Amino acid sequence: MSTTDHDLKPEEFGQAAAAAITDALAHDFRGAAQVLASAGLCGVCATEDAGGLALDIAFALPIVAEAGKLRLHWPLLETVLIAKALGDSPLAAELVSGARVATWALQGSLAEKFAGHARCAPDCDWVLVADGNGGAALVDRASVEIQEDAALDPEHPQSWLALDKAQVLATLDAETFATLQREGQILIAGYANGAAEGALSATAEYMATRVQFGRPLSAKQAVRHLLARMRLVQEASNAGIERVLAPDEYGSVRRTAPVLAHALANAAFVIEKALHLHGGMGFTWELPLHHALREVRKFDAAFGAGALARQNGRDFIQSV
Amino acid sequence: MHMEQNPTRPDPAAGPAAYRDYARQWLRAHLPGHMHADSLAYRTPTLDECRDWEASMYHAGLAGMTWPQAYGGLGLTLREHLVVNKEVGALAMPESVSSIGKELAGPIIQTVGTEEQKLQFLPRILAIQDYWCQGFSEPDAGSDLARLRTKATQEGDSWRINGQKIWTSGAAKAHYCLLLTRTGTVADKHRGMLMFAVPMDTPGIRVVPIKSIDGKESFAEVFFDNVVVPDSARLGAPDEGWNAAIRVLSIERATNRMYRAWRFDSELRQLVAACKSDPELAKLLDDGHTQRRIGEVVGEIDALKGLVERTVEQLMAGKSIGARGSLTKLHWSECHQAFMGLALSLVSHVTPRSSALAQRAKKHFTTAYLFARAETIYAGTTEVQLDIIAQRIMNLPKDL
Ligand SMILES: Cc1cc2nc3c(=O)[nH]c(=O)nc-3n(C[C@H](O)[C@H](O)[C@H](O)COP(=O)(O)OP(=O)(O)OC[C@H]3O[C@@H](n4cnc5c(N)ncnc54)[C@H](O)[C@@H]3O)c2cc1C
Repeated sequence: MSTTDHDLKPEEFGQAAAAAITDALAHDFRGAAQVLASAGLCGVCATEDAGGLALDIAFALPIVAEAGKLRLHWPLLETVLIAKALGDSPLAAELVSGARVATWALQGSLAEKFAGHARCAPDCDWVLVADGNGGAALVDRASVEIQEDAALDPEHPQSWLALDKAQVLATLDAETFATLQREGQILIAGYANGAAEGALSATAEYMATRVQFGRPLSAKQAVRHLLARMRLVQEASNAGIERVLAPDEYGSVRRTAPVLAHALANAAFVIEKALHLHGGMGFTWELPLHHALREVRKFDAAFGAGALARQNGRDFIQSV
Repeated sequence: MHMEQNPTRPDPAAGPAAYRDYARQWLRAHLPGHMHADSLAYRTPTLDECRDWEASMYHAGLAGMTWPQAYGGLGLTLREHLVVNKEVGALAMPESVSSIGKELAGPIIQTVGTEEQKLQFLPRILAIQDYWCQGFSEPDAGSDLARLRTKATQEGDSWRINGQKIWTSGAAKAHYCLLLTRTGTVADKHRGMLMFAVPMDTPGIRVVPIKSIDGKESFAEVFFDNVVVPDSARLGAPDEGWNAAIRVLSIERATNRMYRAWRFDSELRQLVAACKSDPELAKLLDDGHTQRRIGEVVGEIDALKGLVERTVEQLMAGKSIGARGSLTKLHWSECHQAFMGLALSLVSHVTPRSSALAQRAKKHFTTAYLFARAETIYAGTTEVQLDIIAQRIMNLPKDL
């Protein structure tokens, strides 16, 4: 790991990222790219030749957790990963500088000529898709036809991409793509867990100030216990995510799918309960919590809505 | 894999990885065949067999990892303790018969005991020469320990103890009781609590076994009727009892039986292997719902490992764990109960015609399911843990 090379601490990156992300939230999509890139967030893991910081994925984790917490709707984790995977290529430098933005279609492939679940696809320059043979291809978004599915999120619909005329700008070999997928699972888990953390702290604060029956609601045991349970699952996800970053006792990389499945399920639980604890208010667009829920549910859908847990079970059964 | 019968104990400076390899080899080479809970050769070991096994682990350098050498320990770090625990968990071996001594009484004596007490008690705990029990709960004081009324009255150089304890695990076999008493009245709440190391053969102590859900008599009521102990039996200063008790409970929640997550992993393997051993049961594993539940258990166990490893690293960094032990306690107890619910639903399909391994698993997991009911009760109930998290970790106000 390169984490110790620089004497930097990942958690400090979280604090710095929070300021930049808050700033980015006040800008449009392209403006946000500039803000995030200037703060060094887009290139945190990219090579130094591409203008990046060449840091380990552990440093991207607190950044995307902040993005989740602050409900940044911008493909930051995708851009970070793709900039890293592109190595010294000039394309990487364009992502690092914020001149271009890339997203990643989590389902489908070039071979199928159809892909889906790429966040913010209409706004991006490039989309990464699996090639169907283990590797991946970065395609020009302008060469892709997009069909939107607004069922879960009318403001930020899920996108389906027709790839018949896709123009390939760069390719990733199977090994690079496998690393990107593994790191993607970790960062998505971190993003979802960050979203849960944000929802939880907003709810704890609200419950501590809203007075019903003569006392703040968080003094009521039913409420306290639900909040404590939300904290427990959020901490458990966090511990699992931290653990998966390091190799196991024998130096092998750990499996990320159980951690991602667990983090997505826990995040959905926490955010759903956060909505509930806001009472009638929780059911409205007055509150941003529904955005967090939609985002986590979209990721869950991208991985087959519970299919990860099923696959993890199948894998475990096979391993015995 | 080739297993050396008598691997050489590593140099303490060799670090945790060397200890892990040593522990792995030693445990696998020495655990008696009939103590493998996942094998057909298994038969319930006697108390003496369990004691001998655990004592042999100690003599092989696999217990007392962090205890000072002066008191029989190895003077190593929590990292070595953790790696040994992982290897212990990976094997389906009997639970420790002396965990109250090793994981509660021992650490508390190291913190508040006198030098004489440390020399007297600690090496014997590690060598499994003495068993300990924990006398905290009372019929009117369980979750709310501040209500306990077992009374200790000073009489010159000795103390007279009267009262009753309940749910005292291992009381019938114990040589000593880590006893929590009070010097004043219930109105004093947390003040005036005093802890003692009371020999269980002291006149006036009566142990009445209680049969538990699994059909065993592993805990008991303990009556103290004019029990007189010398002042040297006192652990810590008067008024220090509550703090000492809280420290005991936080240890119990955060670091006790650190092997749990790795044991759950091995139990899950045992369950799946048993199902696979029988064609009818194997079909259950093809069901998507079952696969998903197994996958969820895998995710929960992974997170538990993360919580435990994080605790060790925080303690190694000199941070105190305090209330955070409640997160680990709550997580393992609920995760294991849910897992046992799944196990029961699978082994409930076992019939007398099923494979021998499946029948063995049915016996094991049905008992384990029943015993798991205790997990959200002992070491502080779920509701108590939730309150601790709400109050001491999340700083939420308390109801009046
Ligand atoms: C297998 C087993 C082994 C044990 N071994 C030992 C031992 O060795 N030594 C020892 O001292 N004790 C031991 N115990 C006792 C254990 O610590 C107590 O049972 C436990 O602390 C709960 O106390 P209680 O049984 O009095 O239940 P109570 O405190 O009466 O609680 C009853 C129920 O009410 C809930 N409750 C209580 N207070 C609140 C609250 N404020 N808000 C919401 N709900 C609440 C509880 O969570 C519980 O569900 C053991 C228990 C078991 C099951």
